[in-house]
Amino acid sequence: MTPDMSVDVGGLKLRGPVLAASGTFGYGTEVPLLERRALAGMVSKGIFLRARAGTAPPRITETPSGMLNAIGLQGPGVEALIRDYAPQWADWDFPVFVNINGESAAEYGELTARLDGVPGVAGFEINISCPNVEQGGMFFGNDPHAAAAVTDAVRRRTKLPVWVKLTPMVSDIGIIARAAESAGADALCAINTFVGMSMDLNAYRPRLSFRTGGLSGPAIRPLAVHLAHQAARAVRIPVIGIGGITRTEDALEFLVAGCSAVQVGTATFVDPNAIAEVHDGIASFLETRGFASLADLPRYLPRD
Amino acid sequence: MHVISMQAPEIAVTVRAGQFVNLGWSPGPLLRRPFSVYRVVGDDIEVVLKAVGTGTTQLLAMEVGDRISCLGPLGRGFDLPRAGSVVLVSGGLGVAPMPLAAREAHGAGLRVTWVHGARTAAELCSESDGEEVVWATDDGSRGVRGTAVVAAPDGDVVLACGPNRMLAAVAERWPDAQVAVETHMGCGTGVCLGCAVPLKRGGYDRACTEGPVYRAAAVDWDSLPSHLPYAVSA
Repeated sequence: MTPDMSVDVGGLKLRGPVLAASGTFGYGTEVPLLERRALAGMVSKGIFLRARAGTAPPRITETPSGMLNAIGLQGPGVEALIRDYAPQWADWDFPVFVNINGESAAEYGELTARLDGVPGVAGFEINISCPNVEQGGMFFGNDPHAAAAVTDAVRRRTKLPVWVKLTPMVSDIGIIARAAESAGADALCAINTFVGMSMDLNAYRPRLSFRTGGLSGPAIRPLAVHLAHQAARAVRIPVIGIGGITRTEDALEFLVAGCSAVQVGTATFVDPNAIAEVHDGIASFLETRGFASLADLPRYLPRD
Repeated sequence: MHVISMQAPEIAVTVRAGQFVNLGWSPGPLLRRPFSVYRVVGDDIEVVLKAVGTGTTQLLAMEVGDRISCLGPLGRGFDLPRAGSVVLVSGGLGVAPMPLAAREAHGAGLRVTWVHGARTAAELCSESDGEEVVWATDDGSRGVRGTAVVAAPDGDVVLACGPNRMLAAVAERWPDAQVAVETHMGCGTGVCLGCAVPLKRGGYDRACTEGPVYRAAAVDWDSLPSHLPYAVSA
């Protein structure tokens, strides 16, 4: 029998546990080949109120089992998103979350107010963890008061689900996780990329024009499993695990570590059908182990 | 310079000159690597490469019958004129899209001038296809001493591919030339925004989707890195 793969993320029912991570799936209209039946949901490329050009090239470089990126949240701005993409999302059979960004809590609030009620927008993922912008971004994510202020600014302007995407660049992710939970987040996404750097030994300078970039890919997975687990232990709301998921077993590690769902990112760059393969692999795993549903999968989540 | 061939019938029938395939192999690097399609022979497509690092060494070590993951054809290729002549200008590995461009041009009844340059005679691509063939080497060891851009005659349409430094020189001489640029690439499908090409009008677009072929004068050459640190430490 096919196992029940549906999950509940803070009251939102998803048809499966695997979502597309922000910045790796565009606005959902670009990725070819993906079997969308397997897609539980997607998070859009990060958006600001206004259009942003992004950083100068080179923007990416490969590192051992990973990649560094500094795209700088290039995007067309919220009005273009509402005009060009949201109408398409409204017809899709999975929810689309918008990854929202701002340089102040007020900007996050304004962006939420503009998007709330737009057909096609199913919820918000607050990005307080982008390492590649000069203003805002990660700054909000490593201070509990700032994290709470941004979450609160968004929460006040929408009844749609609000997720908060956390940065790993903190000394205690539990403190930020609890701050976001207290300010009204429905779920947490853990984690965004680690800040990294790589030097070009011909030019004697960083390979990326932004100097630093966000490290993603299999290289960060054990770090991400740990941080997602720490976040899950710190709060009562669901945690969506992110970080280097490439294969079925990677996703299962996050789920066993206490996550309710996962997002697949960098793997989609390599294999546009990665999400479907991970989804189907989880179903096979559950079937082989005799679990009737994903909810029956044992979780390792000791409470202190 | 080496040519490797792979059976890819769906790509072979649809690929246009200037388009590329994104290749993944095991055990390869994490990300795929983009290659212009060099030639099409029946069901097979070919790409050219040099042994520059671990990845290309792995590709060159493959045996007949080994499998490779091939995503494509990707990007927007060259636009050929309806009549007249085309000049194909390439430097080094920039020769990659030219055999296919020559074949398409001949199919459209165009006259082809093939101009190919490299640092030395040993680094030239030995293959050519055109009514007129011009060789250029930096050290003068074969053909004209100097760059392919200097050695090339004018034509109705100029198609160029090579190091970005060379393409900037193409833009100076022929603003309307069509050039295939080289960038780092993440996904090849338009989602990662890693292959940003700076534009003269401001902003960036994606080499993998809007490109890799651009009108030469449209690119902001001063902002496009001329040196790509491709080596991967993985």
